[in-house]
Amino acid sequence: MAEKLVPVVCPWCSVGCRFYIVNVNGYPKKIEFDYEHDTRNHGKLCPKGVSSFQYLRHPDRLKKPLKRVGERGEGKFVEISWEEAIREIAQRLKEIKEKYGPEALAFLGSERCSIEENYVLQKLARALGTNNIEYVCRMCQSTAVAGKGMVLGHPGLTNPFEDILKAKVIVLWGYNPAATNPVFFGQYIEKAILDNGAKLIVIDPRKTKTAKYADMHLQPYPGTDLAIALAMLNVIITQELYDKDFVAERAEGFEELAKTVEKYTPEWAEKVSGVPAELIRKAAITFATAGTAALLTNEGVNQHANGTRTVMALTEMMVLCGYFGKEGVMSGAIPGAHNGMGAGLMGVEPESLPGKFPLHAEEHRRRIEEVWGFKIPEKPGITYVEMIDAILEGKLKALYVMGTNPAKALPNLKKVEEAFKNIEFLVVQDIFLSETAKYADIVLPAAAWFEKDGTAISFERRVQRSFKAADAPGEAKPDWEIIVMLAKELGLGEYFNYSDVDDILREINRTIPPLAGATPERLKKNLKGCMVPCPDENTEVPRLFVQGFLTPNGKAQLIPVEYKEPGEVPDEEYPFWLTNYRLVGHFHTGTMSHRSKSLSKRWPEEYIEINENDAKRLGIKDGDLVRVETRRTALVFKAKVTPHIREGVVAAPWHWDFNYLTTDVLDEYAKMPELKTAACRISKVEG
Amino acid sequence: MSKKIFIDFKRCIACKACEVACEMEHGEARIRVFEFPDLTSVAFNCRHCEKAPCMEVCPVNALSKDDDGAVVLDPLKCIGCLMCAVACPFGIPKIDEYNKIMDKCDLCAHRRAEGKLPACVSACPTEALKYGDINDVLWAREGKIVAELKDIGDRTNVLEAYLIR
Repeated sequence: MAEKLVPVVCPWCSVGCRFYIVNVNGYPKKIEFDYEHDTRNHGKLCPKGVSSFQYLRHPDRLKKPLKRVGERGEGKFVEISWEEAIREIAQRLKEIKEKYGPEALAFLGSERCSIEENYVLQKLARALGTNNIEYVCRMCQSTAVAGKGMVLGHPGLTNPFEDILKAKVIVLWGYNPAATNPVFFGQYIEKAILDNGAKLIVIDPRKTKTAKYADMHLQPYPGTDLAIALAMLNVIITQELYDKDFVAERAEGFEELAKTVEKYTPEWAEKVSGVPAELIRKAAITFATAGTAALLTNEGVNQHANGTRTVMALTEMMVLCGYFGKEGVMSGAIPGAHNGMGAGLMGVEPESLPGKFPLHAEEHRRRIEEVWGFKIPEKPGITYVEMIDAILEGKLKALYVMGTNPAKALPNLKKVEEAFKNIEFLVVQDIFLSETAKYADIVLPAAAWFEKDGTAISFERRVQRSFKAADAPGEAKPDWEIIVMLAKELGLGEYFNYSDVDDILREINRTIPPLAGATPERLKKNLKGCMVPCPDENTEVPRLFVQGFLTPNGKAQLIPVEYKEPGEVPDEEYPFWLTNYRLVGHFHTGTMSHRSKSLSKRWPEEYIEINENDAKRLGIKDGDLVRVETRRTALVFKAKVTPHIREGVVAAPWHWDFNYLTTDVLDEYAKMPELKTAACRISKVEG
Repeated sequence: MSKKIFIDFKRCIACKACEVACEMEHGEARIRVFEFPDLTSVAFNCRHCEKAPCMEVCPVNALSKDDDGAVVLDPLKCIGCLMCAVACPFGIPKIDEYNKIMDKCDLCAHRRAEGKLPACVSACPTEALKYGDINDVLWAREGKIVAELKDIGDRTNVLEAYLIR
């Protein structure tokens, strides 16, 4: 038995953990921990990482291209050959493009695929003449990208992980790393708190495993975080706790911000959010006087109709306290998947080019056009959620989905199903027959993460190479190979002349200046990778904003933020706030984790958390079935009666059918749907 | 002194990485994480007692201590009489329903033979599980406290020296 250890990057969350797959004659036997290299995880792994080879050989894996024979959504297919599948896709895309124009086509990239694969997919979309190219960042990070972009000019995590060990106060806002990023929590946050005495402030409607460690736990109603952020700004300014020199030197717009937040007192915020004014005041003072602080956010902040505004207010809090550019500081939002940042940087966005340059940035357009050899379409594309409306309005005729599952990830799923039933042509390229794939005309079997070489960018901005550790089952192929095959069939072969991923990465090095130094040679030699920006092979930038911000004049823009309610708030008819959360053992829509035996055994089903006082009032006991109804539809959950969620709020994990309940109201800046809050009513299911 | 797995309760976040890692190695998890209503959680495995009741009661001597002090089971000797399960104060040995013999933690003997840590300890993202000699584990904790006290002492002296001047 030829056994070898192949180094890989973990395929789940975005911490960037490394480990080995033990490969026996091409077959993945198990994982092994990597204690030899200087890895970000120090060899440690969470339950998803440890069991991550399980889904690879699940019998449900797609092994041959499929063509639909039944109704859309029914999931009935026949196997066809690759030649037939690619020929049909190319022909249908060409027909639709000729008949309705290139804007009738749209493409979805994936945060679970490599940067190389996302790069070739967006290049294909643009070669076909459309900017309708998106990925799920729109639903998890886009408000953070927009908010931090406006204030600082760059949305990335500012500091390396080690800096959190030196932070005096850590604020985790709408973020439960003990469940979403256990390795990051254990190796950095928990050490900062338990070993180095950092204070922890948690803002979350639920008392989570993270909140267990908190010195202060603020429990706002979902989506009212902005009220607390504004009140904290108010306290920091009125009590003159801000860094006057830093603000004078490196920020502009202070006066107007101060005037705007004058009315947002902690007492006002208490009425809106339900968090005691004194606690808000105490949190603001602790944060502002700490000396060094880490403020990390996640979906609890992001996935709201006021998400961008909240991110702006929180970023401005960091600016006011003069924390940026220092050691012992950290600020950022945490992408959900291992290449969440990488896919965005590749230009898988309707309004930006590779490198995240705006579509209208002439200089960069010209430079990229020169590398590519064709014109980039000028009209901005449509965003993820808007694509669904465009399908229903008949504007969007064909959708090409690579490694993502909108039929479960999008809000208001009944509407999404309606759209997918009515689309003219749908292609899904994935490793399993996902909920979306069931609606597809053609399904293409893709290789999973361990079955190909590829590069990913973690939330620390770290570019890392993962290597092929197992053979793909059946005829499954790496996503980039499939895209290149399709491009050739479409007559665009001259622009897609790649023989391996290294060719693609070298083109990325040429196209995206901040990634020029992340060459295949450097990443293969150095498993720890390098941090973006890495303009040449010897450089990386561990700490952002040391000199100035990335705004046009280098100063942080303190744009005044006014309070805005979340998209849907409780009323008499729907009196409860409904929110969701993640489980440590499941990942996103569960395409992979629900097929992992060890994970689904431990985290088998959904349930809804109800405060014990609410439960008593409604006659609900632990384990009862309850009907949860929003304006969209109703679902039945098992009740989990607990003191750990605040009264008036109910919460369920989102990995199952939660999104049938959610609203598709959008954030005005980032077009992020409000996935985290809805108004609902609950009742016990009798009998 | 033998080596054991020590559990730091305050670091456990109930992520169950230890359970899953153990399951990957042995087919069934031999360590279990118990969660309590107040959010505390405890990862619980065989204590590999110095004076192990399971060993003492085993009628066929299927249980013995290996060179590292781990209480290990010889599956060829075990008759599945459940005496060890009855005697264990922690309720650790479990019956393997398929083979009708007992199944228990052996501190990953195959991994130790290769110089590796037990799988649960390797995985534990918060380092709530530590593998080592009790004296080393305690000294690491004591050492930290002593260093902190020394640091305070040093700072006090500096302050005194400053005041005297």
